[in-house]
Amino acid sequence: MERYYKKRFWLLVAPAIILFTMVILIPFILGIIYSFTGWRGTYFAGGDHFWQAFVGFDNYVKAFKTSKFIVAFIYTFKFAMIAVVVINIVSLLMALMANSLNRGSGILRTIYFLPNLLGGLALGYIWAFIFEIVFSQILFGKTGFLSIPFLTNMTQNNTKSLFALAMLVTWQMAGYMMVIYTAGLNNIPTELTEASMIDGATLWQRFRYVMVPMLMPSFTIVFFLTLANCFKLLDQNVALTDGNFNTRMLALQILRTTRDTSPPNFGVAQAEAVIFFILIATITLIQVAITKKREVEL
Amino acid sequence: MKMQLKRKLFQAIIYILLILLAIYTLAPLVFLFINSFKSNGEIVNSPTALPEKWSFCYIASAMKSINYFQSLGITFIVTVASVVLLVGVSSLCAWAMVRCKTRASTILFMCFTAAMLIPFQSVVYPLLNEFDMLGMKNIYGLVIMYGGFGLSMSVFLYHGFFKSVPVSLEEAAILEGANTLQLFFGVVFPLVKGITVTVVILNTMWIWNDYLLPFLVIGNENGIKTLTLELYFAKLTSGQYGNPWELIFPAVFITIIPIIVLYIFLQKYIIKGVSDGAVK
Repeated sequence: MERYYKKRFWLLVAPAIILFTMVILIPFILGIIYSFTGWRGTYFAGGDHFWQAFVGFDNYVKAFKTSKFIVAFIYTFKFAMIAVVVINIVSLLMALMANSLNRGSGILRTIYFLPNLLGGLALGYIWAFIFEIVFSQILFGKTGFLSIPFLTNMTQNNTKSLFALAMLVTWQMAGYMMVIYTAGLNNIPTELTEASMIDGATLWQRFRYVMVPMLMPSFTIVFFLTLANCFKLLDQNVALTDGNFNTRMLALQILRTTRDTSPPNFGVAQAEAVIFFILIATITLIQVAITKKREVEL
Repeated sequence: MKMQLKRKLFQAIIYILLILLAIYTLAPLVFLFINSFKSNGEIVNSPTALPEKWSFCYIASAMKSINYFQSLGITFIVTVASVVLLVGVSSLCAWAMVRCKTRASTILFMCFTAAMLIPFQSVVYPLLNEFDMLGMKNIYGLVIMYGGFGLSMSVFLYHGFFKSVPVSLEEAAILEGANTLQLFFGVVFPLVKGITVTVVILNTMWIWNDYLLPFLVIGNENGIKTLTLELYFAKLTSGQYGNPWELIFPAVFITIIPIIVLYIFLQKYIIKGVSDGAVK
């Protein structure tokens, strides 16, 4: 029987290989090569072909000397740290609370999940208005309901928009992550929680020594998704501040590099993109390695 | 008795917290809804109040300015075509890789999985260049690109699922003389309906809402635009004189309404699909 599949293997995987090669593999390899050349998008500075236009590590040096890139780099890190922590705490608490209910957890989950289906750009526009008008005037302004200066004009200040962005992203993603945590919680055998209750474990002990170890596979997925999505965030960044007030994150920085330079320097943009790839690959691989190691086998 | 009371109280607090969270989740959407019927002045002066009069003229003009039905149709076609392509290609590929345990198959699977780490920005410029050269910087090229970008995750999901499908049924069909496509679509594919739902949902979610790829591939040149792209340009061109909220609110409202309607009907499958995708 093995032979039957072997004979047809290449035919069956061919469409996938073609798609993969066209859309990912070729551009990825070209991208790495181009990052070492004087690529200008439509031509190469210094020659007709890329092999005549090699500039060594110049583009990388230039990228690290561009203050906008460094600012975006740091801003992305800060945002990802805040957002990942907040999303995880909120969504895990939501899953734990909803799971302890006798009724109604299904409908609540349905509501929480909804924002995740809607586009980041469209909702970003709405939140921009909420931050500008509702927060700044009605709720937390000087004449508002409760005066909290930090929560006013959040999209017009570098630090504040970090938190505005985190609020928006948490609002969008917490429901999704909650669904994953809920699936994980439902996978914990009831004997385990019951046994711990009979042994007289407190709520905290039950959470720390029964649920957390059993939830490790969910932590792996949720951390992977939140880390990757936060580092790659673009739409919400465009919609809220459009990168003004030095709030560009890396994804937006790479796209705008070609607009910042004249003639558009695609070589530098591509070097930034390669650095971006290395950063994301390293962080997510380290994270998966750490959380995977803690997963327990039953 | 006291224990039970404490428990009840605890439950009540949790209910209140969760309902407050639900209100917080829905508030921006309610807010979006009521402001889709107001003029600019009314939106800015009393954003949280109900509209003085429920006028559909702002929705109508938003529909006109983002070419609603055309862009909705285009988004629909692009999404469906991409998802069908993805489901077909990735399920066949994952099936072959699970059933045929050679070194090539293992290496191929590793390549697909590793590619999940490649961010969009790292490939996009050379990709656009390549498709430009092939003369495919158009809507067909867009579908192929979505096929490529969604491939890794879809293959990964199918791969995990096929492992638990017993081979014995297939053996019977082969002995009866079914050809490969009959075997796959007649016998194997119906068995993996569950994961197909997940693949369809996860891919539809991001392809429908994506704005960047259409922006880079189609841009503003010809009349063919997706919904999010129309929205982006509507905001961009009318935003030169302050924010045109009386356009943005109804425009956002009509772009998300099809998804909300779909979600109301399919929410059970969507939530199940997402949580199945996470467990595997």
